[in-house]
Amino acid sequence: MNRRRKLWLVGLSHHSAPVEVRERLALADGTAGAVARRLLEHVIGVEECALLSTCNRVELVACGDPDKLDSMRLADALGADRGLSPPDLRSHVYLHEDRAAVRHLFRVASSLDSMVVGEPQILGQVKAFYERAVEAGTAGLVLHRVFHKAFSVAKRVRSETGIGGKNVSVSSVAVELAMQIFESLAEKTALVIGAGKMAETTARQVRDRGIGGLIFANRTFDRAVELAREFHGTPVPFEELVRYLTLADVVIGSTAANEVLLTEEQVQEVSRARGYRPTFLIDLGVPRNFDPRINDLRNVYLYDIDDLDGVIGENRHERQREALRAEAIVHAEVESFWQWFQNLEVVPTIVGLRDKAERIYRHELERTLGSLKSLGEGERKSIEAMAEAIVNKLLHEPITRLKRVESADDEEVLAARRLFGLDDDE
Amino acid sequence: MALLLLPIVLILYVAAAGAFIAYLVSARERLRELAPLLLAAAAALHGFEIAGRSFAIGHIAVTSFDEGLSFLAFSLAILYLLLDRRHVLAVLGAVIAPLASLLVAVSVLVSSGATELPPALRSAWLPVHVTLAFLGNAVFALAFATSLIYVFEDNRLKAKRPGRRRLLPSLERLDDLNHRLLSWGFPLLTLGIVTGAVWAHFAWGEFWSWEARETWSLVTWSLYAILLHGRSVGWRGRRAATLTIFGFAVLLVSFVSVNVFFPGRHGGSFGS
Repeated sequence: MNRRRKLWLVGLSHHSAPVEVRERLALADGTAGAVARRLLEHVIGVEECALLSTCNRVELVACGDPDKLDSMRLADALGADRGLSPPDLRSHVYLHEDRAAVRHLFRVASSLDSMVVGEPQILGQVKAFYERAVEAGTAGLVLHRVFHKAFSVAKRVRSETGIGGKNVSVSSVAVELAMQIFESLAEKTALVIGAGKMAETTARQVRDRGIGGLIFANRTFDRAVELAREFHGTPVPFEELVRYLTLADVVIGSTAANEVLLTEEQVQEVSRARGYRPTFLIDLGVPRNFDPRINDLRNVYLYDIDDLDGVIGENRHERQREALRAEAIVHAEVESFWQWFQNLEVVPTIVGLRDKAERIYRHELERTLGSLKSLGEGERKSIEAMAEAIVNKLLHEPITRLKRVESADDEEVLAARRLFGLDDDE
Repeated sequence: MALLLLPIVLILYVAAAGAFIAYLVSARERLRELAPLLLAAAAALHGFEIAGRSFAIGHIAVTSFDEGLSFLAFSLAILYLLLDRRHVLAVLGAVIAPLASLLVAVSVLVSSGATELPPALRSAWLPVHVTLAFLGNAVFALAFATSLIYVFEDNRLKAKRPGRRRLLPSLERLDDLNHRLLSWGFPLLTLGIVTGAVWAHFAWGEFWSWEARETWSLVTWSLYAILLHGRSVGWRGRRAATLTIFGFAVLLVSFVSVNVFFPGRHGGSFGS
């Protein structure tokens, strides 16, 4: 019996639903397998399924019988399992079928659908959730194939495009700039003025790049001590800031002060004392901590938050250009997967055809040879070979054509089934 | 035979230049490997060409203007290949390879054939003096290229348009390279001048004749001496780069003008 199967992908993400809805649908850690199991057992028409749940998306990939199920019912079933009524869900959920479902999965795995396009974590998350489905026994032939294909597409995208190549966060762009000025941070010192999350993240990043020393200054000395302890740095009194400035190759300013912390004249003085060795100042404060004219000094580079945002913007732009190339890769891979999936559907017809032909020729061969008892072994062999050759030659053309067919609904497939009476055998 | 080789050498230099520039534009790893290979092939064939020519005329082929240009290009290519054995300074290659192409192209265009060297000058001092002087010039050309890249990158950083970090070496590295090159080039230039003077003493009986080339080289020498001293008292980064560019401009002007306008001992007509 030739059955046509369908692939579905239903879910919601940061593109389609606010966090209040996403968190209601999200799966608790380690429950994905159990939920997939429940869906497979209780939703009629589901033959294979896998779930993906991250803070940005909840998605269900399933393969099954389109006569018994459609994507809307699948989404409702997922919602029902999470205690969401259809009206709560329907305005936020997207429903993809067949090619569109494959394309969506490939794009998600390749980080083309991510909030930060090109971020590398998503592939690992997709892999982890696929493994849960494998462990729960809810993934079959089709899902194995579509997920493995998704992984290889993601790898291709990563290696063949620059989609993940450029930094798009303030702290990583700042550190990247530091690495453009300094060959290595190993013998350099960074001075962090003020506190705040961004200053801490940046301090962590320069430490991870192996900065030689970290100095912390804060109006509240205790806070400086705290940070210094966390990063194995040195706290210094805020009043003596300028003195310690001569030691600093990288200066990170992140105070909420309303007045300018460092003037051009001060930095010029410091630069002279440093023998004009390069100094990189990162101004994360709003309003700005450092006098913008500092950037005009020789061998001194000042980036404020807007400058960093500008670089991020450029990097994003470049990522988007690369994303276009990635989309082309995804498109080609979707087509290649689709070809395979189609053949999967045509295969039963081909197998049916071969089976029927083989049954007929075996049956006729037995009858003929049964009445020709006088034949020797060699002659019997010749007749068998001839019968087989006739069948193969006769079937060669129809089978070749079937393999080229686009979909199981195609007229040629139906015609073949009708002409050879494949559906009224039993 | 050797004369016919130079255009092929030129084609290889141009191909290498193209590969270096294409790498900077496309960032394709394959080009990063290919470009130095092409340059090495060009330099190898070039060395063979110079050796063949020298053998044919009986002395090292650096006595005419076109031979000088050709030898300078060869020294540049060899020095760059020695400097960037780990293939991390492709930007520098993207300056050096076109420069070498240009020098060889001019050399092919102004080629005047072999010059006859007066017997007095056929001495072992010729290769020593000339090789040292040209190596010094090539080192300064490399320092010049490094400084150009430094100024370019510095401008971009100041303008808040940093560009592709993976393709550009850090400023610190470029500045360090500038320092190292100057401290190699300066002794080479000094030795070049000293050996020249000694040779002049043997050939003409005088150490120094205030001929145009000699005067210019003294100017260049003083410039680089000032620059090298300045580096030790805080002329680093942008200022060092700017002065290196200026120094090389003077060197270039002297090299060309001496050969074109002041045909003395160094201008390709040794007969005086």
